[in-house]
Amino acid sequence: MGCGTSVATETQGKIVEPDDTAKTPCPALTMKAAVLIQRWYRRYMARLEMRRRYTWNIFQSIEYAGEQDQLQLSSFFSFMLDNFTQLNENGPDLISQLLDPVVDPWLGRETGYNLIPVPESYSGPRLSFPLSVSDTNSLLGAFKEQQTLHARYVLQLLYETKKLLKQMPNITHLSTSYTNEITICGDLHGRLDDLLLIFYKNGLPSAETPYVFNGDFVDRGKKSVEVVILLLVYLLLYPDYMHLNRGNHEDHIMNLRYGFTREVMQKYKTHGREILQLFQDVFSLLPIATVIDGKILIVHGGISDQTDLDFLSSIERHKVKSALRFPRRSLEKLDIDQSQRQMKRGRSTASSRPSSSCSHSKNQRTPNQRKRRCGQRRQDMPFLDSLSSVAPPLPLQHDLEWKQIVDILWSDPKTQEGCSPNIFRGGGCYFGPDVTQRLLTRHGLQLLIRSHECKQEGYELCHGGKVITIFSASNYYEEGSNRGAYIKVGRELVPRFYQYQVSHTTRKLTLTQRVRVAEGSALKALKEKLFSHRSELLSGLQQYDHKNTGNVSVSDWAQVFESVLRLDLPWRTLRPHLARLAPDGSVEYKSCFEDMESGIPLPQVTPNMAETLFRYRTDIEIIFNIIDKDHSGLISIEEFRHTWHLFSAHLGVDIDDRAVDDLARKNKDQQLNEKMDGDKYS
Amino acid sequence: MRGTSFIFGPIKAEEAAAPAVAAAAEFPPAEIEEFKESFGLFDRVGDSQVGYNQVADIMSALGMNPTNKAVVAILGNPSADDMANKRVTFEAFLPMLKQVDEMPKGTYDDYVEGLRVFDKEGNGTVMGAELRIVLSTLGEKMSEVEIDSLMTGQEDENGSVHYENPTSLGLRSTRHMG
Repeated sequence: MGCGTSVATETQGKIVEPDDTAKTPCPALTMKAAVLIQRWYRRYMARLEMRRRYTWNIFQSIEYAGEQDQLQLSSFFSFMLDNFTQLNENGPDLISQLLDPVVDPWLGRETGYNLIPVPESYSGPRLSFPLSVSDTNSLLGAFKEQQTLHARYVLQLLYETKKLLKQMPNITHLSTSYTNEITICGDLHGRLDDLLLIFYKNGLPSAETPYVFNGDFVDRGKKSVEVVILLLVYLLLYPDYMHLNRGNHEDHIMNLRYGFTREVMQKYKTHGREILQLFQDVFSLLPIATVIDGKILIVHGGISDQTDLDFLSSIERHKVKSALRFPRRSLEKLDIDQSQRQMKRGRSTASSRPSSSCSHSKNQRTPNQRKRRCGQRRQDMPFLDSLSSVAPPLPLQHDLEWKQIVDILWSDPKTQEGCSPNIFRGGGCYFGPDVTQRLLTRHGLQLLIRSHECKQEGYELCHGGKVITIFSASNYYEEGSNRGAYIKVGRELVPRFYQYQVSHTTRKLTLTQRVRVAEGSALKALKEKLFSHRSELLSGLQQYDHKNTGNVSVSDWAQVFESVLRLDLPWRTLRPHLARLAPDGSVEYKSCFEDMESGIPLPQVTPNMAETLFRYRTDIEIIFNIIDKDHSGLISIEEFRHTWHLFSAHLGVDIDDRAVDDLARKNKDQQLNEKMDGDKYS
Repeated sequence: MRGTSFIFGPIKAEEAAAPAVAAAAEFPPAEIEEFKESFGLFDRVGDSQVGYNQVADIMSALGMNPTNKAVVAILGNPSADDMANKRVTFEAFLPMLKQVDEMPKGTYDDYVEGLRVFDKEGNGTVMGAELRIVLSTLGEKMSEVEIDSLMTGQEDENGSVHYENPTSLGLRSTRHMG
């Protein structure tokens, strides 16, 4: 290379006495060397930055794709309820209990916590109501010591919280004239360490240190129970200085999928279900917005072009139990048969495609989902069945309320103007700077603070500084992936940002190590996706490989992966991690799946079924968890078969009856136990 | 900036020679697609453009090794304000990348040669402390934070860096692209 040799010869040309140079390099040479090193350093950092960014992209796109799948799970539950047959003779199922609460929370639920005995041997905190600072302090200490609060106190706490929340309006109005600076925190997602770090850095909630927590306290992290309990006790202790907004994860159906339900059932084997019932009530009673000085609006997700704060103030917020339980409409009953027939027709052409995303699978959505789209008056996606010719029904009051709340909890800001449905997430909208401006002007506001999206620095501004995203769970995707942050705002209403990062390793990782760890973890997650869609990927690739050489061009390879997986990622840049190149520069696509054989030791299972099982393992786990009431790890073959059939019918997957029975009989205990344990698949 | 112009001295002679050679072939389409992907990774705004102040980094990430001065010249010597605010599309970026591509590139061996300058005893080590001072005071000065991230864990108990060690300073991995 030119530069290299010229430098070398240059050096040699300048040197008169070799030993002299060894002692004192001339200044010019030193300078040259310095610049060279600096350029190399810059190149190294740039490549590291690139790796960090695509790692981030991988995590985020998989996360949002997962939330899209959530829509499918919940539609499955609706489907199950619609076609429900009692799986167990002993009274109403947890499914219906969880999904169709019969008791109106306003009437109060008799918890009978008084009757729950607390054994002498229990060494955890014993709360006394009304709470005092000694209660909150003892809880802080107990949770730091990994103790669990006894179910009796949890139930009592939730019961008291419900009573308090019922008195609160939908929108909390705060003023900085009575208080010092207000601290605003974003998503915590069960990260107890982050919450404790915030309390340590910023102070415990008190009259001097008021807080607003902007939703998503639970799910994903392992200490959701502890986090939410701490927030609720401070809410009870200082209702004037502690404020909570509801997030999209304060939702019992989301909890089924993202870990909170499981965590509660694991920590509270006997009373878990009662506790979950009360959490459901508490979550739906949480206020949905906070306004500071009439100028700063704080909501969890965002807004839409239809957001109306006055309307929001007036509705009965607790009626929207879950964003994922679509409002039942009077029309649906009439159309169910027709649409189901159409669904079946649609499914037969689409084999084992999951109905999780976008335009292709519209024909597989349940009547509820399609109605929702109609009601939104946004027909961006082509409809493949005759329902699209039906005039959208007049929106009912209940639906309007539901949509307003879902928009608040699920929307994301975008750079372009306008407001479009948030297909990425499956709920809420993407709102542009014009939508923000209109809302702010309309209500005399000057700033919107929201959370809902993980940001690398813990916070991010957009829409010309009028929208702030604040996210308080550091290392959300992976150790070192991002900082957490909180905002402090005082009388002058100028936000100040405070960042932090919880570190579990005693020796601080260098940036390189952090990026490498995060990258490895992201690639692993991505490879799991590859495996889940192996058949589709292979058949897509084979369409570009007519001669069956096993090779395709890089472009074709990238094209297939992008369209099958529906993840907007830099595929060419990632290719070296995923597939081998042949000597002629084409991709040996089978190398993508090389190290994926292990893990499915069920020879009688067809590849199709194995893939399907793997893809939906989380959903299947949840369903088994629900059916297995006593958490013994065992369910009856009948229940298994029945549920599996329902699930596969819903998905439109053809599963041989015999295969299901074989699966059940031969591997039942082992399989279920391992499912209980987590992600290990057998 | 006298130093840098000196460094460009010998190279300029080569650059003068370059145009005489037939204009280097365009990047192959597959490579352009890859550049486009990387370009997109750096777009934080969502308008399919990147800021002037990101151009040098992206070029570095793509395996070129331009000095800041070279990039500023290619961008048309923008003001500090322009550097902070102006953005460039991929179509405008690609020819810039080509220009840089045609400039003589440094290799890993050059980098080792650069370090060897500071190897007073000729034994494959340089004093970490000396390196730090040089990197922060000469050429395109590095900040303390940058130097720290480069040097962390590299110095042995005597404060020396064994630069000929394949993993020294973590820079070896950038030898090959991709």
